Amino acid sequence: MSGADQSAGTVLAAPDPVAAMKAMRSARRRRYVQRADVMEVLYRVYLGAIAALFVLAFLAGALHEVPADPSSVAGIRTDAPAIIGIAVAVIVLAGLRAGARGGPLAIEAAEVRYTLLAPVSRRTALRPAALSQLRTATLSGAIFGAVVGNFVFRRFPGSAVEWIGSLAAFGALVPAVVLGAALVASGRRLRIGVASAAGLVLIAWSALDLALGWNSSPTTMLGDLATLPLQHGASAWLAALGAALALAVLAAGLLGIGGLALEAAQRRAQLVAEMRFSASVQDLRTVILLRRQLASERPRRKPWIRIRGGSIWRRDWQSFLRWPVVRVVRVVLIAVAAGGIAVGGFDLTPVLFALVGPLLFIAALDLIEPLAQESDHPTRRLLLPRPGSELMRTHLTAPAVVMAVVLLGAAVAAAAIGENPGLALGVGGVVFLPLAVVLVCAAALSATNDPYEFVLNPQMANVVSLAPIVVALIAGFVPLFAAWKAEGSDSTRLGAALSTDFILIIFAMIGLGVLAWRFNKREREAM
Amino acid sequence: MSGGGAIAATSGGHSDAPLTAHALGRTYDGYVALGAFDLDVGAGELVALIGPNGAGKTTFLNLAAGLLDPTSGEVRIAGHVPGSLEARAELSYLPDSPVFYEDLSVAEHLEYVAALHGAEDPEARIDELISRLGLDGWEDALGSELSKGMKQKASIALALVRPFKVLLADEPLDGLDPPSRDTLFAMLAETKAAGAAIVVSTHRPDVIAAADRCVAIRDGRLAYDGKPDPKVLSEIFDRSELEGV
Repeated sequence: MSGADQSAGTVLAAPDPVAAMKAMRSARRRRYVQRADVMEVLYRVYLGAIAALFVLAFLAGALHEVPADPSSVAGIRTDAPAIIGIAVAVIVLAGLRAGARGGPLAIEAAEVRYTLLAPVSRRTALRPAALSQLRTATLSGAIFGAVVGNFVFRRFPGSAVEWIGSLAAFGALVPAVVLGAALVASGRRLRIGVASAAGLVLIAWSALDLALGWNSSPTTMLGDLATLPLQHGASAWLAALGAALALAVLAAGLLGIGGLALEAAQRRAQLVAEMRFSASVQDLRTVILLRRQLASERPRRKPWIRIRGGSIWRRDWQSFLRWPVVRVVRVVLIAVAAGGIAVGGFDLTPVLFALVGPLLFIAALDLIEPLAQESDHPTRRLLLPRPGSELMRTHLTAPAVVMAVVLLGAAVAAAAIGENPGLALGVGGVVFLPLAVVLVCAAALSATNDPYEFVLNPQMANVVSLAPIVVALIAGFVPLFAAWKAEGSDSTRLGAALSTDFILIIFAMIGLGVLAWRFNKREREAM
Repeated sequence: MSGGGAIAATSGGHSDAPLTAHALGRTYDGYVALGAFDLDVGAGELVALIGPNGAGKTTFLNLAAGLLDPTSGEVRIAGHVPGSLEARAELSYLPDSPVFYEDLSVAEHLEYVAALHGAEDPEARIDELISRLGLDGWEDALGSELSKGMKQKASIALALVRPFKVLLADEPLDGLDPPSRDTLFAMLAETKAAGAAIVVSTHRPDVIAAADRCVAIRDGRLAYDGKPDPKVLSEIFDRSELEGV
């Protein structure tokens, strides 16, 4: 009999299976805490908090935000809820689809094999995992919402408490409703088509609200909550109704959680365990590949258009032309969201500009797939009669072209959503080319990173893994911030955005240089 | 028992059999992994489930265990739908790939599974299984510290530590040394004598010989159901498909 820790005895002494399950989980938690390096965790939290405070203090000092004019306030009061509602509905759609594939819970394979096959209520067995996920998501959402609220209140009517409170509540409720929708889909075992249809109906409903000036969709009502200090009368009550509906969806999801299909749970358990390991070693490339498996996102058997030929340029296009619908839709949505967030940055707070780069970076990771595959198969690459750096450069052309189109799409979306289409198209027009190259280089650096290259130097490994994301963030932020910050006419703002092309070109050159160095080094080492 | 042509129905249907499957089917995007499969396994009966790789053996076991949902037909464990609380209490599943909690020892796994299923006198049962399966000295080992054979032994102990009426075992002798195989055969005989219905998926002739009945699957369909007769089986399968037949 084991004498390890305190699980033995307490588990066997449990009066029923549920008590045994709780005793074992409690013992495992104690063991985890005992083994965790508390000082290391506290040190990381300390560093994170210091960094966050520094960034917030810097932004608060740098922004000097001026109060919005009354016409902007009126426009935001009427249109923002539906626009936010569409964005929330898109995330709910993603949640519903994840749920239809067995998500969002990630259960250990052993938990499926032993606990879920034991005569224990699956709702009871799965609820702690769901609540844990809910806690993390709502807390993160609330903090992000509060940070945004802290900047928004400086420009709009309403006190700091009102804005921080309403945006924190909104930030907490969005992950709650997404998790709830996913749990409903998995617990009720919705087919992927039904789940997608439900999400699309929500998107269409909020789009209709936007077109007709209504506040009828549940996700538009959450948009009312996000802009609550500007709302009054019925809209304020609708915000409360939206919050209640979000909580109802969450409750329905938690109640039906026991209906989870074990087949999906088993498959997910395996993939998520691999993903966690890959994430722990900052292997973003493997995380992406596993995520695609998790989402059953496979290339189309038949390309959208068949092109023939053997050049690298064509090979890259052959890859794009086999994108499944879901990837095409994702990249289009990213373009629209990036445009919408850029408009939000101008209208609400420039802090939102920080989201644009990382969002576009996700699209760039999809675009860099052909080069990433070359990096995944070094032997095949080394057999080609071309230097690695030349191969790499040629592989960047097609992704950069598509990325440029995505950025133009984002500019068009911003023009359609915002009140100053000329400025949106102008800023997009002056930065899309260098920004596309920077984003593609950042994605290429990330996708071709060897997570074990600096295995003996974890700090260096962290820097190498995070650098592409930080570069994408800065590259997305700087032109928009410069345009926002410039005082005067649209041409002044365009000039300010254009002046940041210099920074983007330097980023692009550094990215190309590092990539060439990396490929040449690997080629030398393989010889 | 259904089936026609070459299928010899030697054991009559058990209306109150612990394990019953009728017209059970499972398809994946049009691919038939198991099609209209019928099987009744009575109490105290040991059935060897045989067939080449990809025939549908593991699919059947996963369906019966409630790990997969059928696309047609039905399967019942002691009259209950797989996955229901009642069925989970009556069915023990020994999978082909052992799985362990990464932070629990062998003994802790056994304690946990015994407690989850309300095993009587679990400590004595755990000690007995550890001793008979040669896990002495490995009680405090984590799953990651075990060899393939030791993992298989721990997995067998986990399947047998709890009460059940139906035992499903997928290639249980894989990775075991000869003495451990003998022990497992003895344990299966005791389990059978205690009245459990046992289905063992296997390619091994010694398991087929020890079984009361042999059920063969080919391409997801029932190909044979009868006494383990090497002559008949050799007519159904190539030597390359089934070891020793």
